[in-house]
Parts: sequence; structure tokens; C-alpha cells
Amino acid sequence: MFESSLCQILFYVLAAVAVLCAIGVVAYRNPVNSAMCMAMSFAMVAAIFFGMGAQFLGIVQLIVYAGAILVLFLFVVMMLDIHDERSSSNYVHAAMGVLIAGFFAGLVINVSLGLPGATDNPCPAKTLCSSFGELLIGDARTVSEAPAAAARYGGALPELSAAAAARLENPAISEADAARATSISDVKLLGKCLYTHYNIAFVILSFALLSGTVGAVALARKIRKD
Amino acid sequence: MDAIINWYNDLMSNEIWFYLIHTLLKLVLMFAVILAFVVLSVWIERRVAGWIQDRPGPNRAGLPLFLLERFGSKEKQPLKNWLHFFGIPETCWIAKLCTWLRLDREIPCWGLIQPCLDGGKLFLKQETTPSYVRKFYFILAPMLVLGPPLVAAAVVPFASEVNTCYGNISMCVANLDIGPLWIFAISGLSVYGLTLAGWSSNSKFPFLGGLRATAQLISYEVSMGLSIIPLLMMFGTLNLQQIVQFQADNGWTLLPLWGEGLGWQRWAMMLPLGISFIIFVTCVFAEANRTPFDMAECETDLVAGYHAEYSSMKFASFFMGEYAAMVIGSAVVVTLFLGGWSIGFGADAALAAYSEWLAVLCQFCMFVVKLLAFIFFFVWVRWTLPRFRWDQVMKLGWLYFLEITVANIFLAAAIMYFIK
Repeated sequence: MFESSLCQILFYVLAAVAVLCAIGVVAYRNPVNSAMCMAMSFAMVAAIFFGMGAQFLGIVQLIVYAGAILVLFLFVVMMLDIHDERSSSNYVHAAMGVLIAGFFAGLVINVSLGLPGATDNPCPAKTLCSSFGELLIGDARTVSEAPAAAARYGGALPELSAAAAARLENPAISEADAARATSISDVKLLGKCLYTHYNIAFVILSFALLSGTVGAVALARKIRKD
Repeated sequence: MDAIINWYNDLMSNEIWFYLIHTLLKLVLMFAVILAFVVLSVWIERRVAGWIQDRPGPNRAGLPLFLLERFGSKEKQPLKNWLHFFGIPETCWIAKLCTWLRLDREIPCWGLIQPCLDGGKLFLKQETTPSYVRKFYFILAPMLVLGPPLVAAAVVPFASEVNTCYGNISMCVANLDIGPLWIFAISGLSVYGLTLAGWSSNSKFPFLGGLRATAQLISYEVSMGLSIIPLLMMFGTLNLQQIVQFQADNGWTLLPLWGEGLGWQRWAMMLPLGISFIIFVTCVFAEANRTPFDMAECETDLVAGYHAEYSSMKFASFFMGEYAAMVIGSAVVVTLFLGGWSIGFGADAALAAYSEWLAVLCQFCMFVVKLLAFIFFFVWVRWTLPRFRWDQVMKLGWLYFLEITVANIFLAAAIMYFIK
């Protein structure tokens, strides 16, 4: 009651601000304004993560994107002192952009509506919230297997409770101790999921980042001709 | 009377109201303590600086007695009035001592009034906004510097838990499962304030100062985050309240002398933990932008750095933001390495068994004492070490600290795996 209604209201407010800021990123002519809008947008997305109980994801969003990457953006924009962009209205570019953005938006909407019980709830955040827990907790279950999970729970995903998470973390835990658990440690759940189920993808991604770093160093290094 | 008690009972029995009320109370307490410490640390800074440089520092400002003259007392000098009242002659040694202690002019309190007077002065100063600045960001920047450290303080636990008849109260504003990360993320946002201040001032030295501040903060954030991983491996949790509880039970991170903290593994862990401590504290110094790391505002190169164009309360916001960051940094070091609120040697459990509220009170005092001690250390370092050169700061961050912290993680893992 209290939590779910608050969650819904907050979700809509934060999502609206995030979308407005995202529009601001493209609409502003001044690159610094765009960058600040992007920072606001990232912060709002982090806040939505917090509202869903995914505290770790939210804070990582803040540290990595708002705290590091975007500051570097701002740094470069200020250092180069780029003035107002004069946009050349190229319709081909605009159409390409709309196509690509539409493709990804459709992908996200398809996945979230494809989750069991997505249309039961007036607020998609609520469903996403519980399905987030489902994806993490069921270490073998992924989006593609969601129908199977849905059949098991009769069309709607179960709500993620702290007790269930505690039981999952420590199967030997007594029922009384599990009931006393107050919060879900999504750091542990996420870590377990990343390092077991998605381990190979994770390692490949780290190699991609490493090669990027090596490439940047190679580009930045001055090669002496003497 | 019964109606009031009943109403109070009803109110507190409601889970939501109970939560709101105790959180609000803790919020106000935390905010007041942090702001009081900001003021206090300015005074500590100036007194310790004076002490180190063999000069008195601000030791004069007391509660002035001319206020008494204005309101009521007809006599020019209240001291004479009082001496007369007790029948002490004005040439007596007591009178001379009182005059020597300046009791005829003010009530002395070791110059503690000085920061308040400074604050008043900053409020009353003329505020000039240069015509060439980018107005919106110029005004936004000081807020972005002062705000984050105050928000980051929300997760720092200042005492343990209390079981009341209405429910459990954990003595920190937000008992999040991601404590240290929250502090890093939120205090990392103050980079925006520094960058925007430098850029929006639209003049050369502030811009250079802003760039330096940004580069330095980002560089040292990396080592700062990596350096505490050995600790987190030992604690096995990111919840700051649980981390301090662990230290209360098993010995402080740097002082494992009681509880189950005496095994071989724990003693071997002292090596990586010590390295972590040194690197983390250095990074906290760098993050707080203070000497020896005050590259962003060093007078010899950059006039005053990113806040050169600011005046009056806007300058004071930067000033307060710097001291707030220092207080929060000290609080984090105390929480992670020096046992937080824990009194130590098993005294916490004993006190809590006697009375939980008494334990909480003692723990709060202990936390404040540790915080003051670490702030003293902070100031001591500032007035002892000379400023680095810019390239030395970058080299230290990227070439030494980053490598040492990564190696340190592996060292800690090896110790935890091989030594039982």
C-alpha cells in the first residue's frame, strides 16, 4: 500500500524528468547545457533504480556514468571551448537516428511487456521491480524462460521478499531468521549472477574494455622518431 | 494527559509514522552535528596552525560584554560592578588577574566565537557577480559543492541500535546496504561544482583551477575505491552499521586486540589493511582538496583557483563545502578503520546489556572524540607537509597508488585463502 503507491508516483515523476532531460540533451545548442541535462537524466535513472530496491545498480549508475564518464565529457567540452552548435538539418541523419532509437526503444518495451504479469499492474515499474528480483534470484532463469516461470506462479511473478532472498542466500537459515531479514542485499545477488550465470559474457566484456584502454594508451603515446 | 499519551502511543505504533519521526530526528541531529563540526574544524585548523607556527592563533574572541552594557547595565564596566558587589578592592591581585584575563571586556572561551564572527562577516560582505560570468552555472556551482558532503553523511552510523517498545532504531539516518559506495558516489558529485565554477567564471585562473580539481578528484577516486576492497573482503558486507558492529565484536580494523580478532590470519591481514589505510587516508586528503594536495587553489600558481571570482556567501559555500568534505572524510576513515562508534575491548556489549540508551550515548561521545582526533590529524598534516607539484600529484595517483591498491587486493585474497 504505502510503498507500492509511493513507488508508482515516484516512478512516473522521475521517469518524466529523465525523459525531459534526455530531450534537453538533444535540444540544447550549448554543449555544456546538454552535458548537464545528461547528468540529470542519469541521476533520475539512478533514482528509479533506488525506487525498485536495486540500490547497487543505482549507485553504480551514479559512480560510473554521472561521477566519472560525464565529468570527462564536460572536461573535454570545456577544454575545447566549443560554442553553440550550428546544426545542419540533414534529414537522412535525422531519419537514421530515429530508426536506431526506435529500434532500441521497441526492444526494451517488448522485453518489459513480454514479462509475465506485465499488464496486470497499472505501473510497469512494479512489475519490473519484481521481475528484476526474479531474474537475479532464479540464477538459471532468463527473460527467454520467463513464460516457464510465469506458469509456475500462475501468470504473475511472485513479489521479491527479503525473507526469500535470505533463504536463497543461505539455504540452511531458520524460518524465524529469514522472517527477520529486512533488506535484500542486491550486491550479493548481482555478484552471484554475474560471476556464475553470465561469467563468459562478463570476461569477454572486460577484455573489450582492456583492449580499449590499451588502444587509448597507444594512441596517446608520443613515438619519438630519433 | 492520558489523551496525549494515548495519541503518542497510537502515533508511534504506526510503522510509517514511527519511521518518519525517528528518521527526521536523526536527520536533524546529524545535520546539526556536521554543521557544528564544520564551524569547529575551522577553529581547530586556525588554532593548530598557530600552535605549529609558534603564534597564538584566534584566541581572543569571546562573548563580548558590551552587549551587557547595551541591554540594561548602566555601569560602563560590568567587572567593576561585580568587584564592588563582592567587596573586592580594584587594586587587589584578583582584580588584576581578572583584567589580565580580559574579563573586563568579555567572557573568554578560547576564541571559539571567532568562526561565528567570520560567518557573520561573510554574510555582511558586499556580493559582486562579475558581468562576464555565465550566470546560471555561476550560481549553481557553490550549491553543488556544499550539498553533496551533507547528503553523503546520511549513511555514517554514529551509534549502535536501540530496541524500543515501538520498534528497532538504528542510529544512522539511512541504513543502506551500500554504505561506502553511497559516500563515494555522492561526494564524487561535488566534482561538478568545481568544474562548473571554473568554467562559468570565464577567466583564466579559475578555469585552470577547475580543470586541476576535476582531474585530481577523478584520479584519486579510483585508488580510493580500490583501496578499501581488502577491508570489504574481511567484513563481507557493505552495510556501514554492520561493518562497525563487526569491528566492535572482533576488534577495530587497525587494532584487533579483543574478540575473535587474534588469529594468525587477522595478524597477517594487518599488512594489506595497513597499506589500505595509508592509501585511503592520502586519497581522502586529495579528495578534500587540501594541502599538500591543494593544486586547484594554490595561490602561487592560480591566485585562488576555481573560486577566485566568488565573493561573500558564495565563497563561503566553497569554504564550508571543503570543510564539510574534510569532516565526512574523517568520519569515513574513523568508521572503516578506527572502529566507528565502537568503544572497544568488549565495552559495547557490556554497556548495552546494562542500558541500551546509555550505550548509545557513550558510543556517540566516542565517535565524536575519534572524529575530533582525526580532524586534528588532518590539520596537522596540512601544516606540516609542503605542497606537491602538479605532475607529482598525478604521478602519485596513477603510477603508484593504482598499482599498489590492485596488488594489495591480491595480497589480501592470498592471505585469506592460504593462512587459516
